[in-house]
Amino acid sequence: MSEIHEDYIIEIENVSKTFTGGVEAVRGFSAKIRRQEVVVIMGPSGSGKSTLLRCINGLETAESGAIVVDGIRLDGDKRRRLEIRKEVGMVFQSFNLFPHLTVLENVNLAQRRVRKKNKASATERSLELLQMVGIADKANSYPAQLSGGQQQRVAIARALALAPKVMLFDEPTSALDPEMINEVLDVMKKLARSGMTMVVVTHEMGFAREVSDWVIFMDDGQIVETGAPESIFARPQEERTRRFLNQIL
Amino acid sequence: MLHTKAKFRAIDAVLLLLCLAAGAYIYYRIQYGLEYKGSWAAIPQFLLRYDPETGRWAANYLLQGLITTLKLSLWATLPALLVGLFVALCRTSETLFLRMVGASYVELVRNLPPLVLIFIFYFFVIDQIMPLLGVETFIRALPTGAQGVITFLFAEKSLFVQFISGIITLAFFEGAYMAEIIRGGIESIERGQHEAAYALGLSWVDEMRFVVMPQVIKRVLPALANEFINTIKYSSIASIVSIQELTFMGRQVVVATRYIFETWITVAVLYMALTLSLSLVTEQLEKRLQASD
Repeated sequence: MSEIHEDYIIEIENVSKTFTGGVEAVRGFSAKIRRQEVVVIMGPSGSGKSTLLRCINGLETAESGAIVVDGIRLDGDKRRRLEIRKEVGMVFQSFNLFPHLTVLENVNLAQRRVRKKNKASATERSLELLQMVGIADKANSYPAQLSGGQQQRVAIARALALAPKVMLFDEPTSALDPEMINEVLDVMKKLARSGMTMVVVTHEMGFAREVSDWVIFMDDGQIVETGAPESIFARPQEERTRRFLNQIL
Repeated sequence: MLHTKAKFRAIDAVLLLLCLAAGAYIYYRIQYGLEYKGSWAAIPQFLLRYDPETGRWAANYLLQGLITTLKLSLWATLPALLVGLFVALCRTSETLFLRMVGASYVELVRNLPPLVLIFIFYFFVIDQIMPLLGVETFIRALPTGAQGVITFLFAEKSLFVQFISGIITLAFFEGAYMAEIIRGGIESIERGQHEAAYALGLSWVDEMRFVVMPQVIKRVLPALANEFINTIKYSSIASIVSIQELTFMGRQVVVATRYIFETWITVAVLYMALTLSLSLVTEQLEKRLQASD
């Protein structure tokens, strides 16, 4: 994949990842994602969707294939890797907030250290982001003092702090109590409508239906089926998709 | 955490009485069984001494020794912490060479008796490293004022090289233990913390400085405090190489007075005064660090 397609922000070509121990998590996966698209990846557990997502920002190293994010090829080069890390925000299943820092400090940290902003301008942006995720009043609390839903919203604000071009979500609502899922999904919907490119690993059908442009259904490290959410949910072509959808509905 | 309140039962009273009886018996044996004539009255003069020439009270052997012990442990702790931090980072590094260097150092120090180590290392330092650094010439060339400061912070001119060698030896020794504690702390930080730092584009240095280490410090502080106390205690082995700290001075006093029990009990109390107050300080520090829990 030598030529760069300007309209694609993420290009994944024939990516494979095998873990030490021989587990083939991802097998020859290819996909292209346009700017401002929202893509939902679904599939049973162990189907390789999280691994694939983590390959996109280099948290896992794919041993074959190519990944290009916004024209930057992800390879061994550390500087290019850093560029991608700055342009791709990530939200984790377990939030991974820094417990010794306040909410505000969590959101400020990368702005200060990576973007070298001064404290005042970092704080200004952080408060805007916290406002956006509806949690500005908790700016001076520590993560342990927040509910799961609140923590995840802070994590979204933190990932947005560097103004990334792409946001990755790795099962962002799976660790939440049911009554907190919607407050996180609402923030994600708002983000999607604002034009953010998003790749979301989730089983939330409502979210997929409402904001995603297309859905990838994965199993066994490969794409089983892709399509617009309404068609893939209403008329799944593959037996495996049908079986999975029956289980989660 | 489960807190069970301590209760005072009949068995406790019995055990307590037994302990008291044992204590009384030991006292009796010392007092009447041993052919030993001691005197507590002789001890205070070895703490503070009235100097008729200047008309002032001055610290005598034991108090001087205490001060030297304090200086020795304090100055050894700082480099030991730095060595510990550096070696811990080596041992958690991705580079095999650094890991091997770290592991060799830790295993070497941990598996040798401190006394043997101090004999080998101290004489190597004092013989080879000190002249190489030119410490002696440096001290002699200093103006009187600066020498006063050196005497106050470390030791007097004639003992300075010895003192610094002692510090380096202790730091070399304690560094290995601190390294293992800090390494344990680093390895206890959840993978998600590293992943979040990575995803935010933080450099390795920033990740360590702002994400990992603050959490490590909080987790390892109790164990480190224990090691600080150990540094004070191990500083007594420096007496073997004639550094005039508390244990060394204790021996001097015993030689002069033959009041073995009184002297060593006084020395023990002085050590405990240092270590217990250190425990109190770290306890306060721990409480303050728990603000984010």
